[in-house]
Amino acid sequence: MKLLHVVGARPNFPKLAPVYRAACAAGAGQVVVHTGQHYDDVLSAALMRDLGLPMPDLDLGVGSHSHAVQTARALERLEPVVVAERPDWLVVYGDVNSTLAAALVGAKLGVPIAHVEAGLRSGDRGMPEEINRIVTDRLATLLLPPSRDAEAVLRAEGEPPEKIVFVGNVMIDSVRYALPRARALAGCGPAEVRDTRGGAGPRRAAGVDGALDAPPTVVTLHRPSNVDDPSRLAGICAALEAIAAERPVVFPAHPRTRERLRGSGLRPRGVRLVEPLGYLAMLALVDRAHAVITDSGGVQEETTVLGVPCFTLRDTTERAITVTEGTNRIVRDPAELPAAVRGARRVADPHAPEGWDGHAGARVVAALAARSA
Amino acid sequence: MKILHIVGARPNFPKLAPVYRAARAVGVSQVVVHTGQHYDDAMSDAFFRDLGIHAPDINLGVGSATHAIQTARIMERIEPVLLDERPDWVVVYGDVNSTAAAALVAVKIGQRVAHVEAGVRSHDRSMPEEINRIVVDRLADLLLTPSRTADATLRAEGEPEGEIVFVGNVMVDALLYAVERARLTGFRHRVGAEAGRAVVVTLHRPSNVDDPARLARIVDALRSLAEGRPVIFPVHPRTRARLDAARLDVGAVRLLPPVGYLDMLDLVDAAAVLVTDSGGLQVESAALGVPCLTMRDTTEWPETIDCGANRLVPEPAALGAAVAAARRLAHPARPEGWDGMAAVRVVESLRSR
Repeated sequence: MKLLHVVGARPNFPKLAPVYRAACAAGAGQVVVHTGQHYDDVLSAALMRDLGLPMPDLDLGVGSHSHAVQTARALERLEPVVVAERPDWLVVYGDVNSTLAAALVGAKLGVPIAHVEAGLRSGDRGMPEEINRIVTDRLATLLLPPSRDAEAVLRAEGEPPEKIVFVGNVMIDSVRYALPRARALAGCGPAEVRDTRGGAGPRRAAGVDGALDAPPTVVTLHRPSNVDDPSRLAGICAALEAIAAERPVVFPAHPRTRERLRGSGLRPRGVRLVEPLGYLAMLALVDRAHAVITDSGGVQEETTVLGVPCFTLRDTTERAITVTEGTNRIVRDPAELPAAVRGARRVADPHAPEGWDGHAGARVVAALAARSA
Repeated sequence: MKILHIVGARPNFPKLAPVYRAARAVGVSQVVVHTGQHYDDAMSDAFFRDLGIHAPDINLGVGSATHAIQTARIMERIEPVLLDERPDWVVVYGDVNSTAAAALVAVKIGQRVAHVEAGVRSHDRSMPEEINRIVVDRLADLLLTPSRTADATLRAEGEPEGEIVFVGNVMVDALLYAVERARLTGFRHRVGAEAGRAVVVTLHRPSNVDDPARLARIVDALRSLAEGRPVIFPVHPRTRARLDAARLDVGAVRLLPPVGYLDMLDLVDAAAVLVTDSGGLQVESAALGVPCLTMRDTTEWPETIDCGANRLVPEPAALGAAVAAARRLAHPARPEGWDGMAAVRVVESLRSR
């Protein structure tokens, strides 16, 4: 069995990693193609090492453009690769433009497509990711949902049962794989989050080393709906300032977000704006957080298994199970954040949804192998 | 209301034309964008005049390439046009690469997409058209279906009821608009198809013409037919190249260069039997009551079979007997909505939203 994995942006790598390692263990031939739709220094040898991945075999250097142009470049550069490699499976992840482009190329060439993280829906077609999800799922040969609610979505969309295999959440495989190292790197376990002296690594990298006397509230925001509207962004900053008056707030800021803050002249008082963190460092920071405020998809899942209260600053989530079974709560109005964070309590013995057990990657590979005989 | 129509290949124009004329009649502002994914000399001013429309306003000159490259070029070139024109509706037709590519671009920039000929399925994903169909239907905000079968297909795929509007078949609108003028061309007489005995043949799909062994068996069957009756075969350039490469003896089969819209319509109308692998001709022959034998394993137009006009004959050796058994229907029962008014219903549903 030969797998061709297509990834395109940073959130894809923690999904790829457990599948890649499980396929290695099963002796499958593998090629990893990075379209390069998103590239930054964080997407480096360090990320690959954190996740137990080799560097991608190919980088197509697609770069940042409008959705149409980026998808177009990914299409034209992926097609010759898929033709030359002729894999048994084209494995695509998540909901980025490269996911959609790879699915279109595979469908037209008659190469079987497996979609890891199938069936997620926010119900909001104004999100470009939602468009990528619904098209990829329609084109895929094998749909690998991360949760039972995603599986139900696919059935409701008329997908035949034999096309759907529940595998669980590969992102959580990566969390479980990396957590011991993240904690070791942080120099403290979750019980010792108050011990801020002597720790190195992520906390120093985050500029918070030795400075925290309480578990921080961690903030990650990058979506246009939050950062592109100056009045919305100002409202968020006001809420963060109020939180920072009571406890530490650490905000590893996406370059896009930093740009918007600068452009709006916003410098929230007391909030520690730091550079984006590596995978282990970010995991360590979330693991010891009092609460997380985010608009990212992956963080909603990580906080659920870590038992960290998560406030998702959006109108919708495509990961409903993190609300129904986990620690996530949708917060539409930033003004509600200070009270929400004040009332937040970590869950001592967090419940993991079915299949969020660290073995989803192995189930993905088993499903692929069972269908390529 | 402003409509931006996207067309990309010849089969799109007979679908565009009635919608364009119906929208013009009610004073809607319109822009026609031709991606140029397929262009040939037959797509001339005369071709547009036959259909009652003018030449496209914008031609993106995309040209032929692999599916991925062609789709990519369409996406890149169409995005600035959509941003510039800001239509109320982007209207896409049928199942070509331009249909899917335009829908992808439009939904990402928040423009509403209406798909004319939604819900049509062959259930054969090895056909690139089938991939385009399922992608565009997943994305479109308004699914305008040509048949009740198509409605049911979309419902089974989980599309919301409010997005599906049954309008009927716009290709039949184009046919009914043109058929009287087609009969005045006299084309059937010029090619010896009068007297209702001729078998008219069109074949262009890879599944029929790319495999030399299969193509040879098809030509054998046609050559035998031509011993007893006229067999007239307007040849697609793709098919011509394959026939030349295989050096096949066609016997008495009359090969013609590709023919224009009205001439082809006159030829189909004159035929005793049509042998084809085209989707549009299955529809047209059913609307005219001409027996059709489709050289494929599947059809995306099952209603043409249900109404008794069409039959799947994938096996070339079975063609002779099937032609002998074919009878023109005395009272062709057209499927619901194949009545010449589909485009009016398209424009009504666009305006009501």
